[in-house]
Amino acid sequence: MGNPLLEAREARWARRLELARGLGAGGSLLSLTLRLPAPLRVGREGAGLGQGLYAALRRASIDAGLGPGRGEFRLSADGPEGYLELDVGLAEAKELALGFEEGHPWGELADLDAMGPGGSVLGRAELGRRPRSCLVCGAEAAACVAGRSHGLEEIRRAAEVLLGGPLGPPGTRAASGAAAPELTLGPRGPWAGAMGESSRAIGEAALRALVAEAAAEPKPGLVSPSSRGAHLDMDYGSFLASAAALAPWFETFARLGRGFGGREPDELLPSLRAAGLEAERDMLAATGGVNTHKGLIFSLGLLCAASGLLAGRGERLEAGACARMAARIVRGICERDFAGLAGREAATLSSGERLRLGSGLGGARAEAEGGFPSVVGASLPRLRAGLSAGLGRGEALVDALLVLFGQVEDSNVLARCGPEGLELLRSSSARALGLGGMATEAGREAVAAMNEEFAARRLSPGGCADLLALTAFLAELPG
Amino acid sequence: MKAIKDSVAGSLESSDVLVTLRPSSEAAVSLQVESIVMKQYGRRITAVAEELVAATGLSGASLRIQDRGALECTLRARLETAIARATA
Repeated sequence: MGNPLLEAREARWARRLELARGLGAGGSLLSLTLRLPAPLRVGREGAGLGQGLYAALRRASIDAGLGPGRGEFRLSADGPEGYLELDVGLAEAKELALGFEEGHPWGELADLDAMGPGGSVLGRAELGRRPRSCLVCGAEAAACVAGRSHGLEEIRRAAEVLLGGPLGPPGTRAASGAAAPELTLGPRGPWAGAMGESSRAIGEAALRALVAEAAAEPKPGLVSPSSRGAHLDMDYGSFLASAAALAPWFETFARLGRGFGGREPDELLPSLRAAGLEAERDMLAATGGVNTHKGLIFSLGLLCAASGLLAGRGERLEAGACARMAARIVRGICERDFAGLAGREAATLSSGERLRLGSGLGGARAEAEGGFPSVVGASLPRLRAGLSAGLGRGEALVDALLVLFGQVEDSNVLARCGPEGLELLRSSSARALGLGGMATEAGREAVAAMNEEFAARRLSPGGCADLLALTAFLAELPG
Repeated sequence: MKAIKDSVAGSLESSDVLVTLRPSSEAAVSLQVESIVMKQYGRRITAVAEELVAATGLSGASLRIQDRGALECTLRARLETAIARATA
């Protein structure tokens, strides 16, 4: 055929039919493409817009009570394409699609098709709806497209009016060509009481915690704005991309907690796990397959759900209560998850699971099941003390990280550098803290030296980094 | 060129067209056209299909065109591909 765009569209059609054949009897498949001409659809601006629309669609699905669905998003030669499998019938899925196209602020830029099991399609005409109107002139869109009634720049302008800014990821409002605003960590001072109780507010607090952790520096061995630490495969940009992809999921975890109607909190875990797997897929899609936040999806997702659950029950949201609720949700997880490990193929194990087999340590699961003792008992008090003493947020977070280095049997470190790695983590952080940590010149020099040594040894305390983000999250709650 | 097997090209997505070709015992090519822009472009679609059938010398086939508002260049490419696949 020779035309990559047309080949990509045929491949997408084949993929849709394949996914539709795999649907259960009551299931349906939505597919998303951009309703823009090819030159605007492909490339970076189209990719960003497609990703934004796809995330918005999944949120719309959750808000409509249809659940997050199972999805995939990819970039083809024809532009971005997203697939979403829902456990509802074709008519209901099409209603969601029409509501999104017509009701969502950016919906006019989305082209959503609904397919039932076996490939049956349901169009507007079958539902007695009017055909879509043209983005530019409001006439019947199909006629304008087939007749090439409007020029590229005319269509681009119409899209940009709709987005309220340049073509690209929705929500970026900077004038095109202008320098990106510098990232700041906001004013100094304690966070206590910053987090609201709605699911959205909880999700936003989680995103703030993720970004605050990534932005704090210097973090020995870890990725920060000016260093990749011990990592070759990721940088600060990977973390921001991952955080952006995960943002809507934290709200979802909070919602799942708030909407939980069961008696025992551990009945909530299966739905959290299902959402977590979806979130993980979105993370991998956003980072190009790099694991930036897998452990954090588990533990921070859990804290979001615990917060939502407490808020839904009208209980006071406090750091300790939130951590205890998280522990109740995962009660028994170590025993259950680690029971069948010995018989499994090594390649199918997570790093936490391999650690368990090798050393008997429980990693993130044990930390969660214990109610995050190293956070509640050590890093959170240190962060609060640092902030009260007048340290900036970044500096206070680094001190809290040093405290975690001394407390935690970090599974990432153990897996890569063995017990000597853990020993180095402990001794070097104790020394830096002994010199006064980030509050003193000598302490800061010691941290800088750690940074170099960890990078050279490829020692990356990723488990501690996750716990630091949890610390930042819980710091928004009182006591 | 006689059609020797079933072939499909394209998709039912917006701005695309699905061309389905089946061998038939008739010598002539029978043509069936559906389009969401039949009123404006139905005649044009038929004309393009007839032109390509003549140009490729296709015979012994029934050709179904389900148009979702494709550009003419897309329609041509899908028709050429379906014919090539049916006669290869």
